[in-house]
Amino acid sequence: MANTALKAGGRFKSAVSDVQIMVIKAPAGEHALGCGGVPMLGGSETAPEGVQMDAADSGETLIGKRYVNEDESLELLCTKGGKGTLSLNGTALEVKQAKQLPSSD
Amino acid sequence: MSAADQEPDRAGIGAVYARRLLEAVGYPSITVELAAEHPALSAARCGLMALTGPADGAPLPCPAPLAACADGALAALAALAPMGALDGLRGANLLTERAAIAGHVRAGSVSPGGSCHLLQTADGAIALSLTRDDDWELLPAWLRDGSDIGAGNWGALAANVRGRTMQALVEDGRELGLAVCPMAPPSSRPVPWVQRVAGRGYSGAAALPRRAPRVVDLSSLWAGPLCSHLLQRCGADVVKVESLSRPDGARRGPPAFFDLLNAGKRSVALDFSTAQGRRQLQALLARADIVIEASRPRALRQLGIDAEAMVQAHPALSWISINGYGRAEPMAQWIAYGDDAGVAAGLSRMMFEVFGQRVIVGDAIADPLTGLHAALAAWAGFRQGGAGLLSIALTDVVRHCIAADLVAGTSLRERTQVWRQRVDEAQSLLRAGEVAVAVPQARVAEGAAAMLGADTDAVLRDWGVAC
Repeated sequence: MANTALKAGGRFKSAVSDVQIMVIKAPAGEHALGCGGVPMLGGSETAPEGVQMDAADSGETLIGKRYVNEDESLELLCTKGGKGTLSLNGTALEVKQAKQLPSSD
Repeated sequence: MSAADQEPDRAGIGAVYARRLLEAVGYPSITVELAAEHPALSAARCGLMALTGPADGAPLPCPAPLAACADGALAALAALAPMGALDGLRGANLLTERAAIAGHVRAGSVSPGGSCHLLQTADGAIALSLTRDDDWELLPAWLRDGSDIGAGNWGALAANVRGRTMQALVEDGRELGLAVCPMAPPSSRPVPWVQRVAGRGYSGAAALPRRAPRVVDLSSLWAGPLCSHLLQRCGADVVKVESLSRPDGARRGPPAFFDLLNAGKRSVALDFSTAQGRRQLQALLARADIVIEASRPRALRQLGIDAEAMVQAHPALSWISINGYGRAEPMAQWIAYGDDAGVAAGLSRMMFEVFGQRVIVGDAIADPLTGLHAALAAWAGFRQGGAGLLSIALTDVVRHCIAADLVAGTSLRERTQVWRQRVDEAQSLLRAGEVAVAVPQARVAEGAAAMLGADTDAVLRDWGVAC
């Protein structure tokens, strides 16, 4: 996958596992979104033949968790969990600290 | 038969409802004591009616017997509780205590607390609750148009969704974890309010242990804490367990309300991000007779807690899972708060049919109703020696209350007319200065709630858990 413009609400899936994500916010410009060391697939893209997860990646992406880059300009929501670490331009994303519980409903 | 013809029976609906609840938890023939009162008068007396209707107009009666059902649920619990444990409480009054303390008033299509709004879409209305400023950051992903709606700008949000279709908004919102639902009509079929998910359920067997039950309450805000507050009134030893990094948000709300629900409970705070904290949590749960929680199943599984496995391993446990829409997929992933759950169950649609106005009924109405029902479910399970994993959905509880008095073929408008007359008549019999449509009142807390984690060491020691 060439670098892609990321937009809030955009959806991507892993090429090598069950992981699916939704973009909550994203930095301007074009970027490479990865999972398990392999570019993620947008829209109707299908996984290239023979593509495999990076053998060194033992990470897991958890449903319901938010993932961010270092300056939190990118935020993804995992909508389906699975194997593989999420990355932006080759740098692994971190789990975002869960939001505080509301004080009232 | 017109609605008016059925009126003579209406005053007994709270007691009928209480017996129905008791039957569902294994007590088909137990005596219930509850004074007869017309459901419209119950709603007026407790302040529920005052919390419903336009901000700049008169209060509106809701043609569902919510206050009567609250009285019935408390009467059902009292029938099983130690003699006198719940004296001085009225179920209906529990529906409006938060509004009394926080100063919430009716605001038409906005919830009294302000976080839930009814919004018009291209093909129907939806309810959306945004309870935190952070929630507004999800809107660009929800609406996918990059337009920047500042936090709290409900006007811009309402304008944005007006041209969109309800189904896409609800589906996408739920995927994002927003509390959003259609303004749906009430269910035409009966809905159970409590469902056995795993374990033995309600056998009806008398197996009352000689000691007070140990309750671990992992919940926050209102429904779960009210449930364990009522259990405490019944004599339970309640331990409120919170995450050190994410305590109950109600601690930041009005102290008088937090104290009212949580005074007298011991407070344990654990670091769920460490293996030791998760082990301690496991150990507390394994030693409990009753667990109250309101988390999504996956959130607990990510902490290593499997409710199904826990009740299989500990058959004497009654595990109350409070949720929005049940534990089946995909509904187990959907979020609900007290106001939007009432809308999802049909209350606002009923009001729209009668008054032609979009109106939220009560203040987070599903929360206190669910807390009352959950306390009955928990106490009944304890008395029977453990009932396993029980799911109680906010939306099901409200649907169940609506269905308690939904007669096929009768006109809601006609019924509401009769109910309103009953309130007017009651008013005409009162002396000057007395009002049938009362404003919400709250009890005063019996002391201050424990500080976060004040009892962690003591509870771990008492319950034999390694520190």
